[in-house]
Amino acid sequence: MQDTILKIEHVSKFYPGVTALNDVSFTLNKGEVRALVGENGAGKSTLIKCIMGVEKPEKGTISMNYDGEWIVNTSAVEAQAHGVFANYQHVNIAPDLSIAENYYLGRQPKNAIGMVDWKKMASDSQKIIDKFEMGVDPHEKIRELPIAMQAMVTISKISVNEDIRIVIFDEPTALLENEKVDILFRFISELKARGVSIIYISHRLEEIMQICDSVTILKDGTYVDTLPIQDVTKDSLIQKMVGRPATDIYNIEHFEPGEELLRIENFTDSKHFKDIRLSLHKGEILGLFGLVGAGRSEIMRALTGVEKRLSGDVYLHGKKVNIKNPTEALHNGIGFLTEDRRADGCALKLDIKTNINMNSYDMISTGGIVNLRKETKRAQEYSKNVNVKTPSISQLVGNLSGGNQQKVVIAKLLCRDPEILIFDEPTVGIDVGAKQEIFKLIEGLTAQGRGVILISSYLPEVMGLSDRLIVMAQGKITAEYDKEALKTLTEDAVLRMASIED
Amino acid sequence: MTTTTKTKTSSPLSRMMKRSEFTIGLVVVALFLFVLFTSDTFGSKYNLMNLTKQGAIVGVLAVAQTLIIITGGIDISGGAISGLGCMTMALLIAGGQPVWLAVVVNFVVCIACGFINGTIIFDLKVPAMIATLGTQTIYRGILKLLCGGNSVSFFEADGKTFIKVFETIGDYNVFGFLPILACIWILVAVIAFLVLRYTVFGRDLFVIGSGIEVARLSGIKVRKTFYLVYSAAGLIYGVAAIMFAGRILRAMPNTGDGYDMNAIAAAVIGGASLAGGRGAITGTFIGTLLMAVIENAGKSRPLGIEISDYILEVITGILIIVAVAMDMVKSRKKG
Repeated sequence: MQDTILKIEHVSKFYPGVTALNDVSFTLNKGEVRALVGENGAGKSTLIKCIMGVEKPEKGTISMNYDGEWIVNTSAVEAQAHGVFANYQHVNIAPDLSIAENYYLGRQPKNAIGMVDWKKMASDSQKIIDKFEMGVDPHEKIRELPIAMQAMVTISKISVNEDIRIVIFDEPTALLENEKVDILFRFISELKARGVSIIYISHRLEEIMQICDSVTILKDGTYVDTLPIQDVTKDSLIQKMVGRPATDIYNIEHFEPGEELLRIENFTDSKHFKDIRLSLHKGEILGLFGLVGAGRSEIMRALTGVEKRLSGDVYLHGKKVNIKNPTEALHNGIGFLTEDRRADGCALKLDIKTNINMNSYDMISTGGIVNLRKETKRAQEYSKNVNVKTPSISQLVGNLSGGNQQKVVIAKLLCRDPEILIFDEPTVGIDVGAKQEIFKLIEGLTAQGRGVILISSYLPEVMGLSDRLIVMAQGKITAEYDKEALKTLTEDAVLRMASIED
Repeated sequence: MTTTTKTKTSSPLSRMMKRSEFTIGLVVVALFLFVLFTSDTFGSKYNLMNLTKQGAIVGVLAVAQTLIIITGGIDISGGAISGLGCMTMALLIAGGQPVWLAVVVNFVVCIACGFINGTIIFDLKVPAMIATLGTQTIYRGILKLLCGGNSVSFFEADGKTFIKVFETIGDYNVFGFLPILACIWILVAVIAFLVLRYTVFGRDLFVIGSGIEVARLSGIKVRKTFYLVYSAAGLIYGVAAIMFAGRILRAMPNTGDGYDMNAIAAAVIGGASLAGGRGAITGTFIGTLLMAVIENAGKSRPLGIEISDYILEVITGILIIVAVAMDMVKSRKKG
């Protein structure tokens, strides 16, 4: 019989007005890789916080088998001391410290006279960096690393510990490129071989099918089921998670592309991309795929005037336009949903009403005076159109789930009635149900004749949704597939084109 | 994890009660009533008028502070700018210039100083705290250079009688009970309230405070808004300069010194968040009142006990911490 390492019994956790967890019970075995799935708001993150001792459950017990001794409801410090570690969803490392300092935070190697042994710290850190093939200097400050590399630091940091019993990964691949995902999976297999138990949270069901032994499903804070991975399919999982039959989420209606809306030529900046030319048509979804660092987002940021470019012409409806800043992009009918909605997509501290209106106050004001009635009416109308789930439009956007935040950003863009919408990683960290809603929104936008540029590092998504797909590698376009070609295209072929090097 | 809660559509009253201003407002009323019934002097007309006069200048400076704090900034040079404006007026008048010209120059100087703050903060990317710490020292230095370290009185050409306009501003009571200084305070607060509630500029301040990148990508002219808000603060400091002139009838090397911290405290007690994105004129107004009532109450011997200024300072400090801590605990519960 396998050893049980973690027992969760009748755990309930309440926040004011919300039951985050309701009588959840299950067990985890030694050396098992367990997936934990559920929509946003299903209680996954809360459960993890309870296991980690960060939050205390109101009811029930969480017990951990530490060499035969049962430790019940640990504190955060105790949990780590007993080998329980987590890699949280949002990168949480000290941004102003170096990689090495972050690895050894609170347990710096000491030399003979009790001072920090910087040399040893750096060389030990280098070993970890090499193991995870990160190719960075241990002295580099976290702040200066790309976000994907920061995510790698939080993952690799776990391996610094000697006594590891349980590791929890919360959406570890949300920010990673494919090769780094492979490194992560190798790390997980290695941990498993050492008898470490893993709880693995991801919205990407393909990954779960690939690396997990079993899966536990939560829905609305309650426990649904635990099943061996060979007994589930993606569809049956989705059905259990959302409680309704799964349809192919990428199956949206496509429309015949019309006249040309946008064309960019000779797009070049100092280091991210060179000589880019692409066009977008009415009613078309243009997919843009590339590994992290390929320059996809940078082109869009240059197009919308967020960043500067060295050269490049923009034509709207065949007419040359000069877009120097985000304001001009908006006024020219280009809406840009950025990659990092928490940083520059929505104003988390403000309410839904202000968020939806904030890029178009000029349209509902005269002489700088806002028409309050229109402001409210518009917010209600647009939040209803994109189906934001909220009791009221005066709710702060920071209190909404990721999917609803993203819908608010889309509503904001739609207020200006743009002809062209650029969605940069619109579904990062969003659950299946909300993803599907966003895809339906994209369908509706193209039905109205708008053009959509969709950037995603998630291949099934960008291949499943696009009418035309452009693949980039190292700042250049390496392949373009039309509708016909897309029908027979394999993921491998796209990945090959995305990893071409000069 | 976040979950949307189902709340019943709340009545206007219960919504009002949830606002942080409401709690502070209750504290003000309770304290006011307590002192009113336990002190012999507090309730007198003269004392109450004096209370509003004391609050007025801090109140006006706190309005400017609120606008800036909403954007995520802070301004500790407000007192120095007001002092400089006040001294400029005094020197011009002493030099034989007409009062109207002195007032106009005062506004020009104050707005320019505010604008310079805005440029240093936005274009040179110096954090607001450091930038205004620097300019505070500069403005105060220029002031002392101008007056050579001496006070200058607002005398008429005869050198004996005070200038009528300033005397009126400092002393006159509308309807016999409402000091002009208090009227100016209320007027400035009402205008700022309307600007925040009804204008695009007001909305933009909040968006900038919530995140500069969000604002920029939403097409908000961030640079212009920065210039505008710090210049608007300058304009308000110009108003405060005139109030100083009226209240003291003299421009001194240290006019306005120490007022900034009280103004910031009033805004923060009233619910403004130094992290930006949150703040309200109503809250700041009540916050200022609370500080004025406490200061005055101490001198009014409640329950026959004399409370020293030193103890009052300690109490005010505790109050600031309690007000902010209460708010933090509340918002943590919600999040």
